Amino acid sequence: MNTKLKVSEISKIYPGCIANDKVSLEFGSGKIYALLGENGAGKSTLVKILSGVVKPDSGEVFLNNESIKLNSPLDAKKNNIGMVFQHFNLFETLSVFENLSIDSDNKDEDLRVLVNDILKKYNFKIDLDIPVLNLSAGQKQKVEIIRCLIRNPKVLIMDEPTSVLTEQETDDLFISLKQFSKDGILIIYITHKLKEVLSLCDEVAVMRKGKVVSVSNTINEKIESLANKMVGENLNTIKKKINNFKDSEEILKVSNLNFKSDDPYETNLKDLNLSLKKGECLGIAGISGNGQNELFQILSGEIITEGTSIMFRNKEIGKLNPRERREYLMAFSPEDRISQAAVPELKIYENVALNNFKSSNFFEKGLVNEKKIKEHSKKILSNFSVNTDNVELKSQFLSGGNLQKLIIGRELITSPELLVCFNPTWGLDVGAINYIHETLIQINEQGKSSILISTDNDELLKLSDRICVIYKGKLSKIMNADTVTAEKLGILMGGGSID
Amino acid sequence: MIKIEKRNDVSQSIYFLTPILAIFLTLFGGGIIFYILGFNPIEALKFFFITPISDLYGLSELLVKATPLCLIAIGLSFCFKSNNWNIGAEGQLIFGGIVGGGVALLFYNHDGFYVLPIIILSGAIGGMLFAMIPAILKTYFNTNEILVSLMLVYVAKLLLDYLVVGPWSNPEGFNFPETRQFSESARMPILFDGLRIHAGIFITLITVFLSWLILYKTYLGFQIKVSGLSLKTAKYAGYKGKTMIIIVFMISGACAGLAGVGEITGPIGQLHRNISPDYGFTAIIVAFLGRLNPVGIIFASLIVALTYLGAETAQIFLQVPKYTGQVFQGMILFFLLGSDYLLFFKIKFLGLKKNEL
Repeated sequence: MNTKLKVSEISKIYPGCIANDKVSLEFGSGKIYALLGENGAGKSTLVKILSGVVKPDSGEVFLNNESIKLNSPLDAKKNNIGMVFQHFNLFETLSVFENLSIDSDNKDEDLRVLVNDILKKYNFKIDLDIPVLNLSAGQKQKVEIIRCLIRNPKVLIMDEPTSVLTEQETDDLFISLKQFSKDGILIIYITHKLKEVLSLCDEVAVMRKGKVVSVSNTINEKIESLANKMVGENLNTIKKKINNFKDSEEILKVSNLNFKSDDPYETNLKDLNLSLKKGECLGIAGISGNGQNELFQILSGEIITEGTSIMFRNKEIGKLNPRERREYLMAFSPEDRISQAAVPELKIYENVALNNFKSSNFFEKGLVNEKKIKEHSKKILSNFSVNTDNVELKSQFLSGGNLQKLIIGRELITSPELLVCFNPTWGLDVGAINYIHETLIQINEQGKSSILISTDNDELLKLSDRICVIYKGKLSKIMNADTVTAEKLGILMGGGSID
Repeated sequence: MIKIEKRNDVSQSIYFLTPILAIFLTLFGGGIIFYILGFNPIEALKFFFITPISDLYGLSELLVKATPLCLIAIGLSFCFKSNNWNIGAEGQLIFGGIVGGGVALLFYNHDGFYVLPIIILSGAIGGMLFAMIPAILKTYFNTNEILVSLMLVYVAKLLLDYLVVGPWSNPEGFNFPETRQFSESARMPILFDGLRIHAGIFITLITVFLSWLILYKTYLGFQIKVSGLSLKTAKYAGYKGKTMIIIVFMISGACAGLAGVGEITGPIGQLHRNISPDYGFTAIIVAFLGRLNPVGIIFASLIVALTYLGAETAQIFLQVPKYTGQVFQGMILFFLLGSDYLLFFKIKFLGLKKNEL
C-alpha cells in the first residue's frame, strides 16, 4: 500500500507573523521525513494544519492525489493521519487500557487482542492494566503511539518526540519508528535536533521563518550544513575551556540536604551534597520533574532549609530568603521567565527593582527611588544589549530573548559571586542562546561561579566544568565535564548507573 | 461557534473610562426599569440622581454617606491589589464600632478633648484585630479568606445585637435595643450648623492621601503590587508573603473600623442594631468602580453614595421601595464587570460550518 501526502501552497498568517508562507512539500510512504527548524520556524503550525487543529488561510492537502479537508482532528483521524504530540494527552489516573479504549470504536475484547498484537509485533513492554501515572515518559509516549497504531495509520506525525526522553528511550523509539516505516507507514518527524535527523531520517525539509528553505536527502547532509540552513547564518561554535579548580577557594557547600514536600506533585530531595569552587560552572542535568524545581528553590531561598545545610562563602545561609541571600552576592535566574523572574504587566524598570539589593538604594527609607531604578535599568539595557532603551516599556512587549537578557542582566549587574540559573535558554532563538551562553562563560572567566540546572545536554556539555545528574531527587556523582558524554548523561538521567 | 480571545494590550485611558461607561449603562438600564414600572424614565432618574443633591443639605448628606464608603474602599484596595479577598469589611466596620462604642460608653460622663481621639483609635484597632482573624487563619492554616471574613460579618452583627439588647443597653432606655447616647466630647465635630457633615471626612481624606503615598511611592506598595500580579515573583524576590497578607488585612480592617467609629460618633451618636446600611459590602463595588485607585475611589464613593440618597428620595416621591438603591448598585457592578470582560477579551463569531456538526 503506497501512501502519498502532499501539501500545496499552504499559508497561515497570524497577526504580526507569517507562520507558513506558501509551504509545499511531498511525502511518500516507506521513508522517514524530518521537518527541521528553529522555534517559531513554522513547523508546529504546519503539523497543526495536517492534524486538523488549525485551518490554513490558503493551500491544499492531498492524500493519494485526492484533496482532503482537515477541519478538525476528527477529519485527520478519518483520513488515517495519526499524530503524537510533544505533550501527552493521557488520563493519568486511568489504566493504559482504559486510556486506549476511550477513543476507540472497537469492543473491549477485540481491542485487547489488537493491542496485544501491536505490543508483540513491535516488542513494546507495557502493562496494560496499571495507571498511566506509573509509567515513564517513554512508556507514556508508547501508549500514545499505540493509540495511533490501533487505527492503522497511513501517516504518523511525531512532534518533537524526544524532548522528554532519555538517550536510551530515544534509541528505542528510533528502532520502532524504522520498523513502522518498513511496514509502510509514512512518518513525518518534527524536530530541532540535528543529530536525530541524521541518524533517523531519510529526507529532511528545513523550514525558516515560515518558508521551506531546503529539501534534501540526509545522506548528503552534515550537522554543520543542516545547522546553517536552519539558522541561516554561519554559527561560531562556543566551547568552554575547561579549567582545573583544585586549588581554588570553595565558595558553596551543600551538605546532607533533605527536602520533604507536603505537595504530592513535588519531588522530595534526598541527601544532596555538592560543592562549588570559585570561577567554576557546575552543570546539573536531568529530565524535567526530577527535583530541579525544588533544588533551584532551595538554592534561591524560596524554600528555606536548615541553616548549616547550605554554606556560602563560609556563612550559613539555609535559613535566609532570596532577598537576604542576594546581600551575600548570590543571584538567581529561574526557569519561568514569564511569570516568575519578571511580571509581564510591570514596566522594565519595575521588573529591575525586583532585585533589590541593599547597596542599590532603590528604596530609601521605604520610599521608591524611581530615578535611581531607572538609571540602573538603562545601564542594564545597554550593557546586556536588550533591543530597547525605553525603561517605561511593559516587559510583556519584550521577546523571549530580550526578556531573558534583561533578567540575566538584572542578576549579573550586581557582580554576584554565584549565579544559579535554571534552563536559561529554553524557547529562545539561536542568536539569543549564543548571547546567554557567551555571558555565562564570561562570568566564569571573571572568577565568578555558576550553577546551571538544565534539561539541555548540549548546553550543559558546552558550559559546565563539572556535571552531575539529578534523578528522582537524588544527585549522581559529580564528574569532570571532559569525561562526560551525552550518552553517559542519558544513562544517568534515565536512572541507570555508570562506573 | 463563538470564540473568546484575550486582548493583548488594553490602553490605560480606556481602562479608566470603562467605569464611566458602566455608569451610563446603569442609568440607561435604570431608565428602562422605571419605564416598565410605569414612570417617565427621565423624570424618575431626575428624582433619583438630581433631586437628592439639588440643595446644600443634600450635598452634605452625599458626603456623609460617601465618607465611610470611600474609607472602607480605600482599605479594601490594599487587599484586592495583593489578591487577598477581604469580603468582610462590614464585620470589621461593626467590630470597630463595637470597640469604639464600648470606649465611648466608658466615657459617657467624661468630657475632654482626649475622649474622641481615644475612641477613634480604639475603633481602628478593633477593626484591625477583627481583620487579622481571616489573615492569620489564611497564612497559618491555609483557610479561604473569602469564607472566613464573610462569616465573621455575622459574628460581629450578632455580637452587636447581643450587646445592645443585653449588657450595654441603655439603663434608662425602656428596653429599646440601643445604648446610651454618647457624651458631647465623644462625638465628631459637626462642620456646619444644621448639616450632618462631620469631621470624619477629614479622616477619610487623610487616609486617601496616605494610601496613595503607600501604594505608589513606597517599598511596601511595590511589594503589594508585585504580589498581586504574581505570587511566584513575590516569593522569588524574597518578599515576606505571610507578613504582607497580614499587613494588608490590618490596613483594610483599620479603615473599616475607622468608618464604623465615624458612623457611631458622627451621625448616629450611640450603638444600635443597624449602625451600617451594608457600607462594608457596598464598598467592594466602590473599590472596583474606582479601579482600586485612590482618586478613582473618591469619585466612585460619591456616585455610589448617590444611589443611597436616590433610593430614599425615590421612596418618598415615587413610592418605590428603597431597595431600588441596591438594584442600581447591582447594575453598576454588573455593567462594570461586563464591560471589563469585553475590555480584556474579544469575542469572535465564527460561522457554523456544516461539517463541524
